[in-house]
Amino acid sequence: MNISILFQPMNPTPWKIFIPFYFYFTGLSAGSFILSSLSTVFGIKKFKPLAYPSAVAALVLLILAPIMLILDLGHPLRFLNVLNPFYFNSTSPISYGSWLLTFYPIATLIYIWIMVKPEGAPGREKNLKIMGAITVPLAIAVHAYTGFVFGVVKAKAIWHTALMPGYFLTSAILSGVGLLAIIYLILSAVKNKRPDADLLKSMNNMMIGIILLDMFWVISMWLTMLMGTEAARLAVHMELRDPFYMFVEIGAGMILPLLILVQPRLSSKPGWIATSSALVLIGVFVMRYTVVFSGIKAASLGTLVFQ
Amino acid sequence: MIKKKKRYGMVIDLRRCVGCLSCQTTCKVQNNVAYDDFRARVNIMEQGVFPDAKRYFLPTLCNHCENPPCVEVCPTEASYKREDGLVLVLEDRCIGCAACVEACPYDARYIDPNVGSAEKCTFCVERLDNGLEPACVHNCMGRARIFGDLNDPNSEVSQLLNNTPTEVLKPDMGTHPNVYYIMGNFNGLPVKEEIR
Repeated sequence: MNISILFQPMNPTPWKIFIPFYFYFTGLSAGSFILSSLSTVFGIKKFKPLAYPSAVAALVLLILAPIMLILDLGHPLRFLNVLNPFYFNSTSPISYGSWLLTFYPIATLIYIWIMVKPEGAPGREKNLKIMGAITVPLAIAVHAYTGFVFGVVKAKAIWHTALMPGYFLTSAILSGVGLLAIIYLILSAVKNKRPDADLLKSMNNMMIGIILLDMFWVISMWLTMLMGTEAARLAVHMELRDPFYMFVEIGAGMILPLLILVQPRLSSKPGWIATSSALVLIGVFVMRYTVVFSGIKAASLGTLVFQ
Repeated sequence: MIKKKKRYGMVIDLRRCVGCLSCQTTCKVQNNVAYDDFRARVNIMEQGVFPDAKRYFLPTLCNHCENPPCVEVCPTEASYKREDGLVLVLEDRCIGCAACVEACPYDARYIDPNVGSAEKCTFCVERLDNGLEPACVHNCMGRARIFGDLNDPNSEVSQLLNNTPTEVLKPDMGTHPNVYYIMGNFNGLPVKEEIR
């Protein structure tokens, strides 16, 4: 019996709602940008209508995201310290992330600047492809690093898994598809144009595929934690008994949209597509929220302490 | 002859701790610790029903680990490990992101709401640098806290470590704490933890 059995954390967590919003916005931005690159970099023509709206969404979100982060700091006006090269910490994911958060919006801005040139402008397609190809890895890195912010912390059983960066990335793309589906439907309604059924079908299939992949990550985490360390077992038991996690994140955020999207009768209708997208958007936010706050709460389980 | 670096550490003798909470209170006063937060504190557990009730005390503080996860994650290198083993924070550089607070397995850190930077036990560095011992050590009335240089074989802490079996908190974390515990009479504690 180790004396750790008596140890009970007491200090309150300084992180507030801004942190889940930060992770949510970077994820939405990365997912949106990847959607934009599908036509400009990967040449999948049917995604062309999304190229501009998703690039703009990516940029706007990437301006909102750091604001969330800075608002959560104890010394917000010192945020530039993370960009001081003399202070760079090679073992700190946040050190890397700060630079990524600087370069990625700049790259996105250049990408959009190329895109708004008239269609026939010389070199537009080629430059767009090159800039897109440079920005896609930045977009992926900007969100993958957030997975590492959690993944490297051994003090929190829910966070300390190799699956975290991958799970963050795939759910980010999912949220991006959901966001762009809603934006595309709204833009089509506003412009009085029929949304392209083929494009919508592709986006539906993307959402189905990623939800299934996300469920695989989630079930993998459950199983390995159920047979994991004491801390991991206590954490997963807590999550499985948490109605917010089970009914909102898993149920409403993953299972329900999946059940809607796999039915062709429903998934061809814009109303149902928008509903599934909204559910997915909520579910992914709740995932960021529960990772942060359940992760912190679970670290105080498993002791016998009275005080 | 090369002078060996100091490695400050502490031994807490749980046979002597009576749960007076002097260390917890002294630390608060000495270091002006913010209201909701603690640097050094005592975990208390009560077991059984009168007349067989018993209380167990576990004083904890920053372990000034050899492999500190808080230093690893700091994005500005404001958290650092000094040559003599102390893990400290450059208060003027810290942006208060609290990555270190979340990374510490021992709940040793907090963000002081009045200051905005990360704070933690410093082994009372300003007292150490003036030849004194940490305040909690000074005021422990059970003489349960022994502080010194773990690299000095003649220090009381080194001799205790060599002669008595000790434990550290959460050894599985790989942090290699420099605070060691001598076990007390914990025979009554159950082996299986409850789920809270």
